[in-house]
Amino acid sequence: MAQLELFLQTLISGFLLGGLYALIALGMALIMGVMRIINLAHGDIMMMAMYIAFWLFTLFGIDPYVSVFIAAPALFLFGMGVQKYLLTPVMKVESILPHNQVILTVGLAMVLSNLATVLFTGNYRSTPVNYASNAWYLTDIWKGSPIELSLSMPWTLSFVIAIVITIALWLFLSKTDIGKSIRATSQDPDAALILGVNVNRMRMLTFGIGCALVACAGCLFIPIYYLYPSLGKQFTNVGFVITVIGGMGSTNGAVIGGLILGIFESMTATYIGMGWAPVGRFAIFVAALVFLPGGVASIIRRRKLGK
Amino acid sequence: MRRLRLIAVSLCFISFFAFDALARSISFGIPLPLTGTNAKFGEIEKKSYEIAENEINAKGGIKGMKVVLEFEDSQGKPEISRSIVERLIDVKKQPVIFGEYSSSSSKAIAAVAEERKVPYLVVTGATDDITQQNYKYVFRMNPTNAFYATGFMSFLDKIVKPKSIAILYESSDFGTSGAEDMVKQAQKAGMKVLVREQYEKGAVDFKPILSKVKAANPDVIYMVSYVMDAALLMRQIKELRIESKLYAGGAAGFAIPEFIDNAKDASEYVVTATLWSPQVSYPGAKEFAKKYKKLYQDYPSYHGAEAYSALYIIKNVLERARSWKSADIRAAFKATDMMTAFGPIKFVDKLGYTNQNFMDTLVMQVIKGNHETIWPAKYASAKYIYPIPKWKDRK
Repeated sequence: MAQLELFLQTLISGFLLGGLYALIALGMALIMGVMRIINLAHGDIMMMAMYIAFWLFTLFGIDPYVSVFIAAPALFLFGMGVQKYLLTPVMKVESILPHNQVILTVGLAMVLSNLATVLFTGNYRSTPVNYASNAWYLTDIWKGSPIELSLSMPWTLSFVIAIVITIALWLFLSKTDIGKSIRATSQDPDAALILGVNVNRMRMLTFGIGCALVACAGCLFIPIYYLYPSLGKQFTNVGFVITVIGGMGSTNGAVIGGLILGIFESMTATYIGMGWAPVGRFAIFVAALVFLPGGVASIIRRRKLGK
Repeated sequence: MRRLRLIAVSLCFISFFAFDALARSISFGIPLPLTGTNAKFGEIEKKSYEIAENEINAKGGIKGMKVVLEFEDSQGKPEISRSIVERLIDVKKQPVIFGEYSSSSSKAIAAVAEERKVPYLVVTGATDDITQQNYKYVFRMNPTNAFYATGFMSFLDKIVKPKSIAILYESSDFGTSGAEDMVKQAQKAGMKVLVREQYEKGAVDFKPILSKVKAANPDVIYMVSYVMDAALLMRQIKELRIESKLYAGGAAGFAIPEFIDNAKDASEYVVTATLWSPQVSYPGAKEFAKKYKKLYQDYPSYHGAEAYSALYIIKNVLERARSWKSADIRAAFKATDMMTAFGPIKFVDKLGYTNQNFMDTLVMQVIKGNHETIWPAKYASAKYIYPIPKWKDRK
């Protein structure tokens, strides 16, 4: 029984963690799909959103979940600005290195994290909300339950909001005109241009949406985690690994990839050892590149073609 | 030429008389890291020495002489500490040396002091071997690394009497060495180590290893973490309702107020080992902590209490010494048996240590959202709460 409880509790943790990971990776996958670049400042943009949520909480007592509605639009504008004034000009420059834009995002990441250190010091911060360690218990609902499972309130809340945002994004991309234009740009920028899509505008929008998504992830993370200026790197890594597992640039793949990584990390922690979690992450990353170069997305696509 | 000599001679006289007029004061050079990576601690110690200096001077100084402290920046480098002390001994003829922060600098000074036969009081260096080299002139007031957890172990032994323990620690030098020490101590005390797990600093979700801890059901959960991980761990322990007899932290992250701020109600009843705390009932400890907080807006760490008490020890020793010759000062050091704001001080030779002060380290418990000293009972600021209520029954 204890073993079953251990397994189920691990599975729950992994699932909740995976949902949040997926939201981080979603923005990165979207940007990668449309712009063909990997945004290595992704985690640092998340860090920015977390600082916004932190200050709103500390100064005005605004709940981090409410800050989603402030941080996401703010970083949407920030993302559009980055695309318009930094990435687009760089795209036009001829150079020996093919990926100037990627290098630019690395620079951006450094600037952001150092700026945060200068402005807010390197101290650890957090938003100690009152419900941080509240949870629902199986034995409270079902008295005679032989095993005890718990479901953390803030984790579950963050997970549900992440799902809602993911569904909203999916609806936006598949049902609206702008969404369709973004997908068209992602599939073939030249054809989209010929068919009258304003490709540059779509790129701007995409980068904006990508940043807004990770801003949401930041606000959902801060009640359960904490914050310091160089936290971005860790989450850029997570996003990158998931994007590769999911199939570069596929948003559906990113969601599944996020869940896979979350569950995999939790299982590694329980059955091998928590010190091995980063190793496990890297192993699954390499395995995905070698054995499934197209990621989860390629499996989905094969299924569809098979029908 | 002759005039020059005259000037020189008269200068000598003047300085002789001037010296005589100032004989009512005594100055001590104190090496401290005031710049570099350890500067933060050097700063805390400097401020604490200054508080002690003012207090002592207000009460008539040492043997009626005004104490003047001169801080010398060692930058945290042992070779600089060494040269500072060589100058203090050879040029300034200072009768006794004290100070420095890090173990490596203290060790360098200890070697010089022993060679020159000038007593040296180690204030904060905690590496065991400083007082294991049979040095006759080196005295250490602070407990060594190996004895940091003695208070905690005696609390376990007398009150909790646990049979098993789970140890979680950060995968760094600090975490690994803390965990290894605890494994040894726990086995010596007859506890079974059920889980011994390390984690990468910055982990988001501890629930997998905590679920494992829950399945193992240990009497004590001992964690070696920095503050943010400490708070996350306790929050998730509460979330999973892991019912252990005791949740304990190995100082560091658990011993500072930020831990309570971040873990909130999940931090209640958590105990942690520590060397000193601002509310311990040693005479003068609270007063010193309050004075420090009033001047610098923050409570001092135990380093501050060590520095503050060090000057009182020096005063005590110099006042008892028959003369200020090295041998007499050394004899006075040997005979020391006093109480300070940092705790009782007595230099003894035992267990392979020479001139080492052995004292009970403290245990703190979070009670009603505040750290209270609970062990040893004679220095407690509040009665310990044990057994602790189950998570389910907490409101």
